[in-house]
Amino acid sequence: MSKPEPVRRNPEKGYVAVLGWSLNAVEALDRFDRRYVVVAPDWAEEYCEEHDIPYVSWNFERLNDRSLEIAETLQKMGVDVAIPLYEETVEWAGAINSVLMGNPRLLGQAMLLRDKALMKRRAQLGGIRVGIFEEAHDRDDVIRFLKRVNQTLLKLDGDPSDPIHLKAFDKAGCLGHRVIRTPDEVDTIPDEEFPVLMESHLDGWEFAVEAWVFNGKIRFLNISEYVTLGYSVFVPATPELEKFRPQITRQIEKLIKAFEIDFGFIHPEYFVTSDGEMYFGEVAYRPPGFKVFELLERAYGFNAYQALVLAFDPKTTEEEIDAFFPREVVDARGHAGCFGVYPRRRVVSELSIPEETEDHDYFESHELSAPLEETVTKRTAFGTHWGLVYFFGDDPHAMRGLLKRQEDLDFYV
Amino acid sequence: MGNPVNPRENDPSDDATLTKRLAALDDATHAMAEARDFGKHLRLRRLLDSLRRVLVQPGGFAAVQARAADLEEAGLFHGTDWATPEVLVPALCGAGLQSENADTVLMEAVSELRMLAIATGEYAHPNVSAEDAHQFLSQVLATNMALLFTPPSEAERVKQGRMAQLTRDLFRHLGENVGFESVLDRLVEEIWRILRQRPIQVEQVQHLITQIAIFRSDPDVELGSAGQGVDRLISSLYGTTEACREDPGVDVYRSRLEAMDANALQYEAAGFARAMHDTGLVSPYHAELLRFLLDQSDYLLAEAMGLSSTGRDCMLRFHDLVHRLIEEAVHPQTAQAVYGLALLLDRGILYQPPVAPALWRQIALPLSPYAQERLTLAYGTTPSPRARLLSGVLSILGLPLGVGQGDNPTCQSARALSMWAYNDPDYLLQVLVWVARDDEIIMHFEGQSISSRDSISGVATTLPTDLDPVSLIVVPHLDRIYAEMGRRCVGRAGDPHRWVNPEFHGWWSARGFRINVDVETGKLVDLEEFLRHFYAAYHPRYNGDQPLIHPQPGGVAVTDSAARYVGWHAITILRVARDPQDVTRVYFYNPNNDSGQDWGDGVVVSTAGNGERFGEGSLPFEQFASRLYIYHFDPLERGDLERVPDDEIDRIIGYIRRSWGADRLPAGELQASPEPSTRPPD
Repeated sequence: MSKPEPVRRNPEKGYVAVLGWSLNAVEALDRFDRRYVVVAPDWAEEYCEEHDIPYVSWNFERLNDRSLEIAETLQKMGVDVAIPLYEETVEWAGAINSVLMGNPRLLGQAMLLRDKALMKRRAQLGGIRVGIFEEAHDRDDVIRFLKRVNQTLLKLDGDPSDPIHLKAFDKAGCLGHRVIRTPDEVDTIPDEEFPVLMESHLDGWEFAVEAWVFNGKIRFLNISEYVTLGYSVFVPATPELEKFRPQITRQIEKLIKAFEIDFGFIHPEYFVTSDGEMYFGEVAYRPPGFKVFELLERAYGFNAYQALVLAFDPKTTEEEIDAFFPREVVDARGHAGCFGVYPRRRVVSELSIPEETEDHDYFESHELSAPLEETVTKRTAFGTHWGLVYFFGDDPHAMRGLLKRQEDLDFYV
Repeated sequence: MGNPVNPRENDPSDDATLTKRLAALDDATHAMAEARDFGKHLRLRRLLDSLRRVLVQPGGFAAVQARAADLEEAGLFHGTDWATPEVLVPALCGAGLQSENADTVLMEAVSELRMLAIATGEYAHPNVSAEDAHQFLSQVLATNMALLFTPPSEAERVKQGRMAQLTRDLFRHLGENVGFESVLDRLVEEIWRILRQRPIQVEQVQHLITQIAIFRSDPDVELGSAGQGVDRLISSLYGTTEACREDPGVDVYRSRLEAMDANALQYEAAGFARAMHDTGLVSPYHAELLRFLLDQSDYLLAEAMGLSSTGRDCMLRFHDLVHRLIEEAVHPQTAQAVYGLALLLDRGILYQPPVAPALWRQIALPLSPYAQERLTLAYGTTPSPRARLLSGVLSILGLPLGVGQGDNPTCQSARALSMWAYNDPDYLLQVLVWVARDDEIIMHFEGQSISSRDSISGVATTLPTDLDPVSLIVVPHLDRIYAEMGRRCVGRAGDPHRWVNPEFHGWWSARGFRINVDVETGKLVDLEEFLRHFYAAYHPRYNGDQPLIHPQPGGVAVTDSAARYVGWHAITILRVARDPQDVTRVYFYNPNNDSGQDWGDGVVVSTAGNGERFGEGSLPFEQFASRLYIYHFDPLERGDLERVPDDEIDRIIGYIRRSWGADRLPAGELQASPEPSTRPPD
């Protein structure tokens, strides 16, 4: 093995800007053949200078009459497209791309993708099934919705209610996601979380999709199987979920049409109920959390960030994109999964990977660190895990069992 | 030529696992190799984890050694001191290997393997020559000798967990590949020090001696005057006497024996006996000789075991039993049983009425399928599990203080086994029958029965594999019962050992109990009273010159060589007596495998040269008292509390303050966090 040579960047190919700082993304781009520039807040500047990383400073929280500036700067540099790395940069990418590509619709599209309520309406208009949902501006709205949902389900007073889900309009993944079962729990929601999106609970199998889209067509579609939402995911999915692939593909095609997505990358979530009906949950126009990109690289060997660049770059050719992606499922070298660890005890003093986990044939690695505080904050919402544990192996069912099993183990004692 | 007994090597059964893990390692290496310098650290976690998983597999060290160049080029050492091997300092490697941080240990280990690859010429490094690398590793070996042949100590196990074993395996690999000439003298000295404690398990020492023997037989090696005393070690295993001088293999040796007259046999017998009692090691040829002599004369048999007059009487009195024991238990693979048998006979315990019949029962005992499986897993199929267990019985009865807890947190159970073998061999044999035949022990705790089957868990979370045959199958049961007794004390005020120890070990473990740590707060309490009572109960000058009658369980606060608290540990107080220098010492049994430990602040446990019997550790009375935190005593025997001199008590308290008591002083003095003193010692 020799040191990687500096990549020769091909001026014939596109010039991309990534919005937001992700070292994994930057590292992957730095050894890809496209010219690139990182657009990130000024705290990234020193690091970029030190490592010769092309960089433009921009504060995404600032929204004022200078906002056009960044689009113009990038345009002057010759940048072809902007790629959002985080939820918070999705509308920035839409705004910038509408300038770079001279297509004002891209901004509207981005706004749709940023607001969970608008997103659901749009999906509904596109003929996609969604659950019951509504916006809430205060706690009364939540109580009303909870009651109404349970009346619809013909519950009597005293029957255990079906839960409802509350999500922030514009946050990624599980952030701000709460489950409410009783009116009492409504009081625990802090004021600053409103307004929120409320959804009825769907009993079903939740999964996510990662789809790379180019020229309006799906180029690679991965199905990520959740073992337990917020805890664990693996790719590729079990054959039982993969057998829905044709239906899922049709759903994604509907989604692409409804949102008029021509290029880039989407990450929607669905439920499939016991009768095989598919319900749309939400969709994001940026890389997924939970290190799914890393899992894909482990399973298939391609770098998902480089794939992202290909799907966004208007100068990418059909041949190039065909050659880049492996065939779904059949080309996977195994199943890669990860488990998010939450401490199970209220007081913990040390990190102690269970031997059963560490010795398992599928165990690969973990990124847990020793606890900084002894008392574990009570989880209110789904919250953030303390780190991930990675697994890799041949048998998807063994993987699913293994990930499920981790929920019963203590990683912090 | 037959098949020489030396060397024996491992079987390649874990190949499939290793292959899989190597694939993961290569993938992780590749991922790091293609990453940019600024992104290397993103790939480090997976690479380190996959390295660790490879290194714990048999053959893992060689595999990583072969990949050393790839790993370095991929950037494993990027941004660390290890990136410039030409400036690394051998003296600092020990700190890396003994780090609490598993990643530091791994990096250090891989760096050593890289040096090894350079030294052997597999890896032509631009900045380090093969000679320099060789020199470097020799120094690393010399300065970390203990890693070569002692299992992890209490301190290391607490601090490093499973990494402690990994560094030992690493050193074995390094030693075998670098050679021992530079470290031979110290190595031999250490081997003798370990052997003087007469452990039951000598596999690790045997392995080292074997490696030294192989190393010495290499004509390219120039040893000079190094390795005085190594001959005796090698010859005690592989060429003890005239007829096996050149390690001819057991079959050839047997045919030579058949051609010998009584005189020559006498020579063989005496030669083996001398070597065995000298080193504590038994040659496989010795076992063969014993089996051969069964059909010859009892006189020669006694000679071959080097028996004392007691032992000889015992053998003649229990002639049939001894013959059957040899037939069943003594094989070239279980040669150490010869030493066990010889000492068992010398101890005269066969004269205790139940012991001989209990051994007959043991000989005929059908083992449960589970016990057979455990024994086979640990020792293989030859000889049969039953013979293996019987050989273990001979060893434990001959060397009660040679029991070690291995790399397991089960010091309580090891101590109980040792205590029974020492004090109540009949009971030990009974417990063993229950386990080996029925897979269950039932003990009673304050009138309630406790089954080792019902109890869910013990102190240890995994089954041991690194123990002598008796401990191997008995310890998991004892451990569960011990833990269950502790659970039944939950909610009581004070330390559970007060009630558990007498019920667990036996009636002789006295009901009087003192502890100098407050369980709630972890602070020291009643220190002076604690010490005065200890003197009055145990010190001959204050207890009416009464020697200790029964071994008594005790608890010590183990400290490391810097006198820092490590953990609670179970020991047995065996006797208190004056040593040849007239210093009153406490002689005790430590279930740790090597009792010779440095507890800091000048408190160094001695294992030989101060009147110790084989297997005993000892400290001057004061120093011992300074690490003690629990003892039992008979409240009806009052000693002279008042006569214990104040300055002696003050000196001991000084020792305590300078070590484990530093942050446990009662409120008002220094403040500190309470230690988890409710946890049972391990």
